[in-house]
Amino acid sequence: MSICSGNSLRIDLTTHEISRGLTPDNGIGGRTWNSVTLLDELKPGIDPLGPENLLCISVGPLTGSELIATCRFIASAKSPLTGYLGDSGARGFFAPELRWAGHDQIVFTGASERWVYLFIDNDRIEIRDASDLVGLDITETTVQLRSELRDPDIQVAAIGPAGENLVRYAIISCNLTRAAGRTGMGAVMGSKKLKAIVVRGDRPVRPVHPERFRAACALLQSNIEGHRQFESRRKYGTTRIMDSLAEMGVLPAYHYRSAVYADLEKVSADALRRDHVVKSKACYNCNVYCSRYNYTSYSEGEGPEYEAQAGFTIKCGNSDLELGVHASNIVNRLGLDCISTAEVIAWLMECRHEHVISDSDVDGIDLSWGSRDALLRIPNMIAHRQGIGSLLAEGTRRAAEKFGTNARKLTAEVKGLELFSADPRGIKGYALMNAVNSRGGDHYRGEPMIELTGDEDLAVRRVGNPNAAHRLAEDGKGALVNYAEHMGLLSDSMTICKNISCCMDVVDFDLAAEAYSGLLGRDVTAHDLWNVCSRVSQVERDFNLREGLRREEDTLPSRFIDVPIPDGPSKGTTVDIGRLVKDYYREKGW
Amino acid sequence: MIHCDAVLCVGCRMCEVACSTFHFGAVSPALSRIKVTKLEAIGIEVAIACMGCAEKPCIECPTEALSVGATGHILLERDLCNACEICVEVCPVGAVGFFDEEPLFCDLCGGATSCIDACPTNALSSRDAGVSLAAYLEVAGLAREKRAHYAEQLAAPIRESWKQGVRVDS
Repeated sequence: MSICSGNSLRIDLTTHEISRGLTPDNGIGGRTWNSVTLLDELKPGIDPLGPENLLCISVGPLTGSELIATCRFIASAKSPLTGYLGDSGARGFFAPELRWAGHDQIVFTGASERWVYLFIDNDRIEIRDASDLVGLDITETTVQLRSELRDPDIQVAAIGPAGENLVRYAIISCNLTRAAGRTGMGAVMGSKKLKAIVVRGDRPVRPVHPERFRAACALLQSNIEGHRQFESRRKYGTTRIMDSLAEMGVLPAYHYRSAVYADLEKVSADALRRDHVVKSKACYNCNVYCSRYNYTSYSEGEGPEYEAQAGFTIKCGNSDLELGVHASNIVNRLGLDCISTAEVIAWLMECRHEHVISDSDVDGIDLSWGSRDALLRIPNMIAHRQGIGSLLAEGTRRAAEKFGTNARKLTAEVKGLELFSADPRGIKGYALMNAVNSRGGDHYRGEPMIELTGDEDLAVRRVGNPNAAHRLAEDGKGALVNYAEHMGLLSDSMTICKNISCCMDVVDFDLAAEAYSGLLGRDVTAHDLWNVCSRVSQVERDFNLREGLRREEDTLPSRFIDVPIPDGPSKGTTVDIGRLVKDYYREKGW
Repeated sequence: MIHCDAVLCVGCRMCEVACSTFHFGAVSPALSRIKVTKLEAIGIEVAIACMGCAEKPCIECPTEALSVGATGHILLERDLCNACEICVEVCPVGAVGFFDEEPLFCDLCGGATSCIDACPTNALSSRDAGVSLAAYLEVAGLAREKRAHYAEQLAAPIRESWKQGVRVDS
């Protein structure tokens, strides 16, 4: 049964032809459309950085509506980092503008010979010369385009030097720092010589059944405002999780060598707010406004979120918070994924600590823990592929092949995608999520957040098993991860912020069904939406199997399986990943 | 009239959503009579709506479609309007919207002020009409550029305070 389809814009960057069509009719927006398009149209085995790859950018029917935080676009393609299905979402204000322009999906095919950008003003679509933008970082690109076009309000999604130079974990960002960060979608955009997408739109999003739709919007708003994390999310955003992870003993200090960080107070969410946060920032139509603007002696910008904050401090053994924030600002401007970049640097530091490599292997960069030299120079060298940066631009899996077996043993990636800033050994649901999901080492496919809050009642409601709420329990985690994946896919299709829908758990399939029903003016049930998510989840698995994925790859690095957490509240814990994966396969019927 | 405190504005655009929904039952910033201007590279944003300014250059409408209402807001006589957009062009701070051949002035939702209700940070409040925008009368450019220029003037003291060490909880 078809629930909704949308307008799909086809941009052939080889011939510069523009055509119009429809999205697949068996999805519900966003990621569901992109994943089906890629399975249907992509030939197996192609080079992700060749002209055969497609870059799909989608919003959904709810994007830019009254429903809170329907602010994301999803960029999908075959990933140059993993070789499997890649996709990533960005918040901010680009996605609603694209929706208001009347375009639900853009599919880029081929590759341009010269650098171009795509200009969209409602129905007016033009491929324009971008030669004067080459080499500019994401902030400079955005500012220059707005100035040239005499439109300070126009929305821009761009790549930086990292995307131009095909760094395999390059990002696409809108609003300067709202990134589609994971799996290298910026490199795919760069391979097509597409520097930016610029959009202006003014077509209203009008619900067909306004009362029904507004009831769903009001329910979501009251769910958010009544949530026990509401105030702390407003105050700290995602950085609030640092203290919780410390209490659980799952910090990734010194690249997972310790779960305890002695200088936590110096780099904490409170320290960030006290010393560097000058104001709160919001994405489109969001009453949580959890983002923050930082001001330091060296630079300023939006962020950091938890991942950049912890990645450039705790993970690298750096207790100088201002340096960490500055590194985050640099990485954003260059157009690098902060998670993968922090992981590259922290891994190199551990390799040096273990005498697997020396500073001379990395162009003389000081790789001691917390090194300022490393944090500030390495991102630039990666983004411009200078010296050792060219190897590091390939990601830790490929770089480790050059540095040898001992370096390989120290990596923290799954299927080539680098891990987040937490220790999966002490949070079994996240361990499983990282092992099995379609992107590779990724915690954000859906968030099994219930095991962090320990809410047994919610665990029973969502997956019928109170044990799922216990982070060290292995029982119930297959069902929890399956549910979280469905919620993640639903959110990536509603294009709603996952910090709200998944982490706060204030959206469920019933609420989503009411929102779709009210907007589209037809009865959509929770069951319908669940089935679409199940089917598309299988589409994504099928895509990866077609690219050669083997079951043995659904695992974690051996350092998390064989070596227990050495200290802190989770001391002695390892992950029985085989058991967890088997439980998950049973849920999926694989 | 609607006043926005740029220190408190986080740029969520919930005011635009509320405004366009109140007047049109649909969401688009082009339908909104309040517009959020963002200077992303320097971290400043502010919502701008008709301030009922003392100068009121818009009132020199060539077809006399505009007049001043009881609370100082601008009233449009739709039948007299020929959609010349001169009012949009002459507003010193770019506060007049335009959609579907019609200029859009803040009408305070007939007293309901839906944007103030929607603002999650209390950045929006009611203020008497009559503020002077004389300093902005000579500003050139498109309406959206004038809004950005207005925001830049508000930005300077805020950014100076950041430089002096003022933080969000100060």
